[in-house]
Amino acid sequence: MVRVGTAVPSMLRVLREDLVRTLAHAVWVADRSINPSPAFDPHRQQYNAITLLVMLNDPPPPPDVARIGVTDVDLFLPVFTHVFGEAQLEGTAAVVSCHRLRPQFGGDPLDQAVLRSRLLRETLHELGHVLGLTHCRVSWCAMAPSRLPEEVDLKDAAFCDRCSERIGVPLDGFRSMAVHEREE
Amino acid sequence: MSATVPSLLIVDDELHVRESLSRWFLEDGYGVETAASGKDALALLGRRRFDVVITDIKMPGMDGLDLLKRIREVDPKASIILITAYASVNTAVEGLKSGAYDYLVKPFDPEELSRVVEKACEHVRLKEENIALKRRLATAGRELVVGESPRMKRVLELVDSVAPTDTTVMIRGESGTGKELIARMIHAESPRAFGPMVAVNCGALPEGILESELFGHEKGAFTGATGRRKGKLELADGGTLFLDEIGEIPPKVQVELLRALEDKQVVRVGGTQPVPVDFRVICATNRDLEQAVREGTFREDLYYRIAVFRIDLPPLRKRPEDIMPISEHYLKRFSEAMGRRVTGFSREARELMLTYNWPGNIRELVNAVERALVVCEEGEIRPEYLPIRERRGDGSAGQEDDLSLQAMERRHILKVLKRCQFNITHAARLLGIDRVTLYNKMRKYGIERPS
Repeated sequence: MVRVGTAVPSMLRVLREDLVRTLAHAVWVADRSINPSPAFDPHRQQYNAITLLVMLNDPPPPPDVARIGVTDVDLFLPVFTHVFGEAQLEGTAAVVSCHRLRPQFGGDPLDQAVLRSRLLRETLHELGHVLGLTHCRVSWCAMAPSRLPEEVDLKDAAFCDRCSERIGVPLDGFRSMAVHEREE
Repeated sequence: MSATVPSLLIVDDELHVRESLSRWFLEDGYGVETAASGKDALALLGRRRFDVVITDIKMPGMDGLDLLKRIREVDPKASIILITAYASVNTAVEGLKSGAYDYLVKPFDPEELSRVVEKACEHVRLKEENIALKRRLATAGRELVVGESPRMKRVLELVDSVAPTDTTVMIRGESGTGKELIARMIHAESPRAFGPMVAVNCGALPEGILESELFGHEKGAFTGATGRRKGKLELADGGTLFLDEIGEIPPKVQVELLRALEDKQVVRVGGTQPVPVDFRVICATNRDLEQAVREGTFREDLYYRIAVFRIDLPPLRKRPEDIMPISEHYLKRFSEAMGRRVTGFSREARELMLTYNWPGNIRELVNAVERALVVCEEGEIRPEYLPIRERRGDGSAGQEDDLSLQAMERRHILKVLKRCQFNITHAARLLGIDRVTLYNKMRKYGIERPS
């Protein structure tokens, strides 16, 4: 995980814990952080997600490592008004932003727990793309598309059986996690 | 839709737009193809069809609006979504007027993009479902009309040959022979099946009301015209106009109708502006129009305008071989609906049904079967369950032993009509009712003018 811009370090630490717990896989927070200024578009007052992906891939990561940039700046793609995150399909980099995932962005009261839950789901989603997954029709699966932050809340922090199988991660870990979460 | 996966065609001269959109929709599970120009898009559309076409408006060569018009010609079913920049929303609105489903402003809001495309696909799906249902309705109608008799087979052949054209059709047949059913079948099997089928019973309405019913009226055109109202001719735009009992149209309305049919435009009652209309006309009558033309009650020019292609529906008594198949069909349908365990018709009942002359034709037969089923709960339908008393009746003979008020009324009306040589106006005056009421009663009792 790479901090991009002024994202709060504690947020990355919490996200790392959540990812380790969910994926049963090693996750590190990189020492270096990235200054997103080269990706800034003065006309749109937003940051180009594609440029950030290129920056995250420089230098290319070692084999079997994927880099996830975590940022609080507002991301866009040239044809879209905004994105919550962006990933290279079957690539090595992804970037997620908490800018629009914060409840206060939509006028709701500040709620760190909601943001934490959304960020985990959005990160799993982009990570799924990096591992070659496309969108999933199972509504609770992390790979289900979500256009609104509230739609992110409807998903579980887990992949469905089919998506899990396709990326070859231990199903048991996911299942128990998913069940645990849903029981909560 | 053509397949379970909705198909999209994305047309944009900018590579990054094509790539981003196609990736976006592929991930969402759509089938996606792209084209870099209007020309390429049309070439693709020549090979296969798409449920939704998303096209940029501003492109070199053929622009999005031209492409929109061309697609409407090749594939009217496809929903078209226009892409526009903020600055040219006005152009997009022009596009909506030319039949685009919606437009999207660049850059896209992901939520809006997905929602608009989902809705467009749903729109196409509903359109297709609508056509499928109309087709089913048409074939269901076919099932009702089909008899084994050569006469009915000939009718269906005529329907098949005339349905795909835009020719005006005149359906002739006695009351209850299924003229409207045939008209609906022609509509449903025509290229206008997409459009509405608007039916007007010209015999049921007095002159003034018929006029405003057909042509509509402007606010204040007459007392009670509190608002502008579209007429049936306008409502039939893009579809089929079914004029039932065309022979009953009063002379003044005949002139106006002829003008509307020839000019393909209508002027609302009390209005001055002509409104262009485009519809196919199907007329029906149980009268001898040629006779009416000779007598001068029906305009010759209107007659030739509407009697282009004639379909004659034979009365049931002229195709007795169809009586039992139709009866069995309805017996099955009604007994299922009513939950009756009725096995069929007894030998005597069959004999009665085959010898009766069914002046009310299929309508009477169907009603008889339904009534018999109400009375008969299980077993076979016996003659006494059928609301037919006399054998070999000619439809005008009274049922003297039937002492119900209705039977009395029927006998009395018939008596007066005969006395007036079926002059409706005269008979209505003697009976103390208006023409329309008399027509309605004649229809109710299956009384017809002798031809």
